[in-house]
Amino acid sequence: MIEVQHLTKRYGRVSAVEDISFRVERGEILGFLGPNGAGKTTTMRVLTGYMPPTSGKAVVAGFDVFEQPLEAKRRTGYLPETPPLYPEMTVREYLTFVARIKGVPGGERKSRVDAAMERTRVADMAERHCGKLSKGYRQRVGLAQALLHNPDVLILDEPTAGLDPKQIIETRQLIKELAGTHTIILSTHILPEVAQTCQRVVIINRGKVVAVDTPENLTRRLTGSETMYVQVDGAPADVKTVLEKVPGVTRVTVAEGHDGAAGYEVESEPGRDVRRDLARTVVGGGWGLLELRPVRLSLEDIFLQLTTEEQPQAPQGEATIQ
Amino acid sequence: MSNILAIARKELRGYFASPIGYVVAGLYAIVFGYFFAIGLNWFVRQSMQAPQFGGGPLNVNQQLIRYVFMNSTVINLFVVPLITMRTYAEEKRSGTIELLMTSPVTDFQIITGKFLGALSLYLAMTALTIIHMAVLFIYGSPEWKPILTAYLGVLLLGGSFLAVGLFFSSLTRNQIVAGMFTFAVLLLLWVIDWLGSLGGPTFESVVSYLSLTGHLEDFLRGVLDTRHLVYYLSFITFGLFLTAKAVDSERWRG
Ligand SMILES: Nc1ncnc2c1ncn2[C@@H]1O[C@H](COP(=O)(O)OP(=O)(O)OP(=O)(O)O)[C@@H](O)[C@H]1O
Ligand SMILES: [Mg+2]
Repeated sequence: MIEVQHLTKRYGRVSAVEDISFRVERGEILGFLGPNGAGKTTTMRVLTGYMPPTSGKAVVAGFDVFEQPLEAKRRTGYLPETPPLYPEMTVREYLTFVARIKGVPGGERKSRVDAAMERTRVADMAERHCGKLSKGYRQRVGLAQALLHNPDVLILDEPTAGLDPKQIIETRQLIKELAGTHTIILSTHILPEVAQTCQRVVIINRGKVVAVDTPENLTRRLTGSETMYVQVDGAPADVKTVLEKVPGVTRVTVAEGHDGAAGYEVESEPGRDVRRDLARTVVGGGWGLLELRPVRLSLEDIFLQLTTEEQPQAPQGEATIQ
Repeated sequence: MSNILAIARKELRGYFASPIGYVVAGLYAIVFGYFFAIGLNWFVRQSMQAPQFGGGPLNVNQQLIRYVFMNSTVINLFVVPLITMRTYAEEKRSGTIELLMTSPVTDFQIITGKFLGALSLYLAMTALTIIHMAVLFIYGSPEWKPILTAYLGVLLLGGSFLAVGLFFSSLTRNQIVAGMFTFAVLLLLWVIDWLGSLGGPTFESVVSYLSLTGHLEDFLRGVLDTRHLVYYLSFITFGLFLTAKAVDSERWRG
């Protein structure tokens, strides 16, 4: 549905996006994750036909955004970083104007406008001037504007920025509902958002794609060496020495425990499952095994790991990380 | 076409949602009314004196209406920058340009829509002077044909000015800067006539051809000359073309 090939965008000499490629399948939600200035907005502006790429190409809904901009634009809904509202128009007037320029036929305009207001929960502000809306409502009217003509592709630049927690949840829910019938790209710096809403993530930093994968895979892949959290009720010094002797274990650190029992983080060689041996050893030592679980890096840690230039430890394994 | 109209309507609504539409119309009405009053006063006095000096009756069209229109064109210098300064600049500043440029409308439709929106305000503003004309029709019997061509000329002149303003608005995101540049350039086009007398005959004819107001004379006299019509229409087309170029190059620069 969306295909980006070797896309590069330079502003004068500044390179905002450098040779990025990715695909989004029909009905999928793709998260675009990156720190400030990574090139998220720039990529989206190219995808929506706001500006042409310096090189490379982008195909949206089967149309090259540069060769056949009108066809591509007809099938795209776009929520820019700042919702593009005209302060002097009421919400209804504004959405009706948008419906007109998006080519919604006259007879359907009113019902589409009403439906979009309903979905984004701005109907109560229909007669309010856009310039007098709160930040959250502006964001939602911006979203209503993007869905209005029922486009195949939705490109949302930080759709939950400026919303209150309840609204964030509702908006994420709405985005999930829209997937399936729509193909969605959303950008964000909020990591849990990606984990909750997106099926795939593109992590981008300084204009380059750092990783493309599902949130789960990213987490798994990046754990590199496997880490287990074990909680044992026994004298920490003894337990630690014994655990270190388990075959495959590379390092044991005493971690936080609770209920009077100490916890341990046990790192092992990658690809080697040491859980059984660990359990046997603990029980064989006469201690109680209270907890044994793999430690997953949160997306936040991955994000930091991937986007920090000087990685302390290069991730290993089959990961396609550049 | 429906895209052009949608944008033109949006522009027109924008003028009257802000004070600009009213300020512009008010300004025009006041200045036009002033010139009209002076002209009428002079005309009435002349008409009463004329028989004493053996002159024939004065012509309302040639000796009143024409001068009022000619003198009042000077308001365009002030009013047009006010009309056009925000058109593009404000959309760029507020980011609404992203909506227009990512919608399935062409640059041509956006520019034409904005131009027609501005022209409608201009038309509404000049339409206020129909009241003055009505007064003349009540107390006298002017010919209506020269009045029509005068309005057409004023509209074409205004359109040319608006095209200049639209171009400068597309160059910046600051409406004040756009307005100032428009004013400066319009002033230059206004005074270019005076330069004519400084050079040789060819220079003079070139300069007078360029002069926007020079081409208005015939319209005000009641003469519809295609040369002048072509001149204004080309001027407008050229202005809108430059605007399109500016918008496109901005797109490439990002
Ligand atoms: N119009 C512009 N002219 C010059 N440089 C620009 C322009 N817009 C963006 N840039 C530069 O391009 C780079 C990428 O910017 P972009 O806005 O795409 O980042 P982003 O990922 O959207 O960041 P954020 O999370 O802050 O929104 C930045 O270094 C920025 O300074
Ligand atoms: Mg951004």
